[in-house]
Amino acid sequence: MVDFRKHWLLWVAFAIFLTFATGLFWMQQRAARVAIGPPQTVQTVNPKAGVHTRLTDEVEEWKIKRTFEMVREMGAPWIVEYFPWAYIESERGRYHWAHADMVVRHARQQGLRIIARLGFVPEWARPKDTTPLYLDEEHFVDFGNFAAKFVERYRGDIEHVILWNEPNLALEWGYAAPDAVKYTQLLRTVYPMIKAVAPEVQVLGGALAPTLAPPGSEFGVNDLFFLQAMYDAGARDYFDILAVHAYGWHFDPDSPPHPEVVNFRRTELLRAIMVENGDGEKPVMITEGGWNDHPRWTRAVRPGERIAYTLRAYEIAQEEWPWLEALCFWVFRFPWDQNSYQDYFTFVRTDFEPKPIYREVQQYLRAFAP
Amino acid sequence: MQRGRILFVVAGVVLALALGGVWLNQGVQEALLFSFWRSDGTWEAIQQRGAWRVGLDPSFPPFEMLDASGAPIGYDVELAHALAASWGVRADIVAVGFDSLPDALKAGKIDSIVSAYPYDERLTQDFLFSTPYFDAGLRIAVHNRSTINELSDLSGTRVGVEWGGLGDMVGRRLQRDGLELTLHPFETPEEMIAALVEAHSVEAILIDNVMLRKAQAAGLPLRAVNAPLESIPYVIVMPRRAYELQRQLENSLHQFKTDGKLDELERRWFADHATEDVAP
Repeated sequence: MVDFRKHWLLWVAFAIFLTFATGLFWMQQRAARVAIGPPQTVQTVNPKAGVHTRLTDEVEEWKIKRTFEMVREMGAPWIVEYFPWAYIESERGRYHWAHADMVVRHARQQGLRIIARLGFVPEWARPKDTTPLYLDEEHFVDFGNFAAKFVERYRGDIEHVILWNEPNLALEWGYAAPDAVKYTQLLRTVYPMIKAVAPEVQVLGGALAPTLAPPGSEFGVNDLFFLQAMYDAGARDYFDILAVHAYGWHFDPDSPPHPEVVNFRRTELLRAIMVENGDGEKPVMITEGGWNDHPRWTRAVRPGERIAYTLRAYEIAQEEWPWLEALCFWVFRFPWDQNSYQDYFTFVRTDFEPKPIYREVQQYLRAFAP
Repeated sequence: MQRGRILFVVAGVVLALALGGVWLNQGVQEALLFSFWRSDGTWEAIQQRGAWRVGLDPSFPPFEMLDASGAPIGYDVELAHALAASWGVRADIVAVGFDSLPDALKAGKIDSIVSAYPYDERLTQDFLFSTPYFDAGLRIAVHNRSTINELSDLSGTRVGVEWGGLGDMVGRRLQRDGLELTLHPFETPEEMIAALVEAHSVEAILIDNVMLRKAQAAGLPLRAVNAPLESIPYVIVMPRRAYELQRQLENSLHQFKTDGKLDELERRWFADHATEDVAP
């Protein structure tokens, strides 16, 4: 027989612990209760329109759902979303799909087409004291295994994956020297692994940062040179679509392309390199891009210009570039304010209040929609 | 025996609470000569160096910019020099890109950020902040002769906004909330101001406080009404443990507010002539 009086302190502590644990469990269950809702379709006049949603660090499910609802209501059928390898396979061979499942489930329910960006290396797949953007060749197969698992899991829901991001920048290549041959080797390794499990999935390569970095720069390699170097290294057979980043900086979208200028139509120069290399049948997708209306950033434009340029860019995509399949602007919303120029790329604020650009794009994309 | 244990525990709890209270209360620490608990390496380094290293991004007139010779000038630059002088040291201005300012502060490359830096509650675990010295938020501005004096007076009026800007967003929000105003979008803030004071095609405008103060300094007959519709307070940022620097800063800022130094800085740097020598 337990002597309650003798151990009363333990019993009180146990009761407090039990209450606390029950409360936590209850809160968790409440948080998880977000109705998926009926399946939706996107009403739009421009089937190429898209945005980068960046929900990687969005924790609350209702916010993930709300983001996709608002993208659909804006009239954009495409989204680009980042699925960091390190978040999903933080331990080798053990996969944590809960957040990715949630994102994919809600996006598909809203009728959106997902372009999945894959990257971000877990600690176990890179040397100590390297950044999560560092990947050496001996771990290319590990990345391929992850990519294959990913496309297999989301077969039927995700038809496009981007392999890596801006490999022509040292920052995005773990501060190693950007190397088109090494990146091509990455494509050469991962591409067949994806095709082996889901041959219908379209693999996007490139996603190069538009940059005028001079030869020998420690920061990066000019995107035009890098793409040609990829072809020289034999990349042609190891991607299905070229991913392009098309920022306009302070130029309007009709500013003509020039190798010494970063503007929206620089996309046409990348396309010309594809054609020159006998790859003209392959489509292009813009997976990042747009204009910024920060009041002090030197590459920004006025808010009204940003709206006008964005609408015109969607028109160019539809009317002038038959080889372009999607134009996805950076970035729909951040989970929290960045307190930098990045906040001025968004379409809605962190609290989901639509900026005027959201309303104007919605008016354009849903001009004839109910 | 049992009573002795209970007394021991109670005494321990009381002592812990007392020590915690002292740790939290700076005034009590000073009274008890316990301030060594909060030694401020940043302040000590400033004193030893005789210089306060201030980081700013000289690309945001009239707060910080470069003159024709490439020297940093502006409201924040002068504020930094005045603050440093009030502590008997000089201000060394360090040019840092706006987005890199927090990293530079964390890495100890600078002692503070004075760069039209908006308060960021997410950074309070990493940094200390001063009280705001300027609010760049969104204001309702009207002609000096206007009878509009508060937000509700905008009902039934034509209100100018910069197309796509913060004023446009807030104006649309006010309409959604039931305020019956008509929004008139303009391509630039200058066109919007002209519509108010020259063409009289709108009765009020929604404008950020920096643009408003510039227009007022240029002599245009504008006045702000109502509290800011969106507040964007500019603050000075310091390292997390720079308690003494923060205390000194607060004292000096309070003094500057009282003796009119901040008003003088505003008059000086929002007047047109102050930017005549600024590099393009």
